[in-house]
Amino acid sequence: MKSKLFFLWSLITVGLLAYAVYEAAFVAPMEATMFDAQRIFYYHVPAAATAFSLFIVNCIASIIYLATRSQWADALAVTGAEVGVVFCGVVLITGPIWARYAWGTFWVWDARLTTTLLLWLLYVSYLILRRSSEAGSTSVLAASLAIFASLDIPIVYMSNRWFRTNHPQPVIFNDGLDPKMKLILMWNVFAFMALGILIAWFRYDLERLAQSINAAHIRKAARGGFAALLPGMFLFQVSGHWPPIRYFHAGAIAAWAIYLGYILILFRKFAGLKKEEAELRG
Amino acid sequence: MRGLSLELEQGRFYVLRGENGAGKSTLLRMIAGLNEPTEGHIFIYGIKNKEALEHIGYMAHAPLLYEEFSAMENLRFFAQLYGISSDQPLIQALERVGLDPKLERRVGQYSQGMRQRLSLARAIFHSPRLLLLDEPFSNVDPDSAAAIAKLLAGMRDEGKTIVLVTHQIGLLSSVADEYILLSHGQLVERGAMQRVTA
Amino acid sequence: MNHSIARLTWVNVRKDLRLEWRSRDVLNSMLFFALLVVVIFSFAFDPSVEESRRMAGGLFWTAFLFSTVMALNQSWARELRNGVLDAYRVSPSPSEALFLGKVIGNFLLVLLLECLMAPLFVIFYNLSSVGPVWQLGVVFLLGTWALVVNGTFFAAMSIRTRNRELMLPLLLLPISIPAVASMVLATTNVLTGESSPVLQMKFLAVYCVVFTTACFLLFDTVLNAE
Repeated sequence: MKSKLFFLWSLITVGLLAYAVYEAAFVAPMEATMFDAQRIFYYHVPAAATAFSLFIVNCIASIIYLATRSQWADALAVTGAEVGVVFCGVVLITGPIWARYAWGTFWVWDARLTTTLLLWLLYVSYLILRRSSEAGSTSVLAASLAIFASLDIPIVYMSNRWFRTNHPQPVIFNDGLDPKMKLILMWNVFAFMALGILIAWFRYDLERLAQSINAAHIRKAARGGFAALLPGMFLFQVSGHWPPIRYFHAGAIAAWAIYLGYILILFRKFAGLKKEEAELRG
Repeated sequence: MRGLSLELEQGRFYVLRGENGAGKSTLLRMIAGLNEPTEGHIFIYGIKNKEALEHIGYMAHAPLLYEEFSAMENLRFFAQLYGISSDQPLIQALERVGLDPKLERRVGQYSQGMRQRLSLARAIFHSPRLLLLDEPFSNVDPDSAAAIAKLLAGMRDEGKTIVLVTHQIGLLSSVADEYILLSHGQLVERGAMQRVTA
Repeated sequence: MNHSIARLTWVNVRKDLRLEWRSRDVLNSMLFFALLVVVIFSFAFDPSVEESRRMAGGLFWTAFLFSTVMALNQSWARELRNGVLDAYRVSPSPSEALFLGKVIGNFLLVLLLECLMAPLFVIFYNLSSVGPVWQLGVVFLLGTWALVVNGTFFAAMSIRTRNRELMLPLLLLPISIPAVASMVLATTNVLTGESSPVLQMKFLAVYCVVFTTACFLLFDTVLNAE
């Protein structure tokens, strides 16, 4: 399971992250109106991109599962959902930290924030459904729910058009963004996507292992998802009057706490499953 | 179920036996199309079971009836599901099981024996070729049970195939043709009924 | 095939209405629950006439959402009680007919609740609409269908879960958020007369079409998920 390829990918990820984070923190030019706090952009946007990609993976895997009833598709679906919820959680925490500085309030009901929150809610309900359903019906029910969730996403995105938003307009695709910033952002997107793939890979292997020994324990991983959001509690410590750089650091700490917390939970699950497997063989 | 492969002949009366948890009810449900086998197929008279539903009559532990309706109202509803609009087969089915078609009482007020009989009527009114019965004699008084056994024998003589799950072998030792013994989801043994001691 | 789905849907609707009329337990408790919710909301939020137009939309749909969830929670109860659902699955009848029949039955029940709650709201909040009232009618119809179709579907899903009554709102609410937001906005727009609700109505119509189709196509899968 801990194949050579996986190890190689971990190295690549660490390398990319180190480079990208360094560039974002020290090399990227200072933004004119938001100063250092704007640097949150460099881990907020990649988290969003990764989360959305993972949710798309879940959607496609669910469709494949309903068509073929293959176990690997089911494993991929739950992986996409769970790891997606983690990354989406990061988006929902780092966003308000940035907003507190940029707009003075933590939250606005603008279209993009609402969509992200909704996605998070939908997929948390997906994870809860997986936990509460009868064994044997779990995969089918969850896959059906995933299709509903994916139908909802474009619908919410459409309502995007009809509400005014004070979310920064997509600067990536027009010339509003300094090309140097664009480049560093791209590196960060690659780096965090690599991280996403790494964590998802781990989670997928865990799920396949659990399937092979027919363990029900893996369902409890959903509980861990909530614990990962506890750093959100410290949001309230974030005042409106810090120096800009502190927002950047606060967001980074929150994000990494969530990522590392989730990875730790996965390791514990891994240990538990390995033990169970040994007991079954022995 | 562990690698079960079974062939049943038309017009025979089979009894499924085995200890609790052997998989008898599950097998019955699979034949009826309620449970999907992880691998493999089920064919009824050459047609896939899910496409042959009008040939199946199913009776479960639960009565499968609406408490608020009377006997005829229940049957009329189920008749619609099978595309039957006439009352005749319904009245015949009720008379065969020994219930009064004119009874207006709601099923909620029936005795257990009456419920079982009505449940059986619901399973047979559309003249299915295959009858799947799960513990039809549970909670039924001995006279009613004997009457039901006789009725089922009669149906077998008409050419219907019957697969029945029960713990009360004694009732059926003289009417059933074959028994099938399951254990832990596997077929252990099958043979002619006369060999079984009550 | 389509003919039989339509016919069987009607059979199911008639059956549900007759069952409901026989026992009337659900109807009575639902009506009373709706009344209680309206009263509580009126106690909790006591605005002036000008404010009330702005708030009534949100308040009404929230109150309505609670009542609907309660009503939908027991929509499959009768089928489950004596295992009738199995009898239905064993019959050659298409399950889509069962689903549509349930949805229409629930829709009528919930519409009845609305007819009770809306006038009460008008009374308690001294509401009068600036915009045309027929638009409210359209919003109500579309919004109710949106909630009921998904609600019936998720109620069927919840059958195979451990905390049945909790699962339904848990699944239904996130999916319904865009629809509810539209309903509230449309209602407020009509009541205050400040802008046109047509955009929201179009949105609701699209929502209804998309999700009714999805429910229709996936119901058989969910019913047989064993």
